Amino acid sequence: MVGERRAVGALRLFLVLLFAILVVFQTLSLPGKFAYMAKESPDLADLRWPATAVTVFWVLCVQVVIVCTWRLLTLVRRDRIFTPAALTWVDGIVWAIAAAWATLLAVFLYVGFTADDPGAPMLLLLLLTGITVLGLLMVVMRALLRQATTLRADMEAVI
Amino acid sequence: MPIVVRIDVELARRKMSVGEFSERVGLTPANVAVLKNGRAKAVRFSTLEAMCRVLDCQPGDLLEWVEETS
Repeated sequence: MVGERRAVGALRLFLVLLFAILVVFQTLSLPGKFAYMAKESPDLADLRWPATAVTVFWVLCVQVVIVCTWRLLTLVRRDRIFTPAALTWVDGIVWAIAAAWATLLAVFLYVGFTADDPGAPMLLLLLLTGITVLGLLMVVMRALLRQATTLRADMEAVI
Repeated sequence: MPIVVRIDVELARRKMSVGEFSERVGLTPANVAVLKNGRAKAVRFSTLEAMCRVLDCQPGDLLEWVEETS
């Protein structure tokens, strides 16, 4: 399909762009931001390195999802998406989302117990719920991919 | 599989080669081999129809049920 090919091409382009932006965030923006914040408010300075580590880890999770998506797109292009090979990369996406979710939950609990205004906890709650929905959606999509893989294998056995 | 595809019998009766058969039915020789040695899991009705037309026989002449041996 021509439409599908174009969409895959465009998606790849934007995945590369997104990955590049994330690398900038990971290496420059986030460490710099927390260094600046530590300088501005010295009472929170001991949070500098944990906050840097956690946010860089979240960016890493997104990067894992990008790489797995890239591999899945390669399978789509080769018409091998409905093979067991695809499940490996889908598992990668699910685990990356699960890891991000777990650390976000820890941060949410920490901020929830220490914050003195409800702004940050509410924002984190929104993020946490969003990532929960995304993760569960991926689990459902994974099950659908499994079903489609079985169907394709059955159809290929038909002579 | 307890369903056996008796292509070889019908081919022998019509003195048709496997190559000619696969070409006229529109199957790959590999798929004909799968049918012949009983490894086929499913056959399309369109394939069955083409085989019956080429061999001028009925589906019952091609398909046979046998008791599972294993």
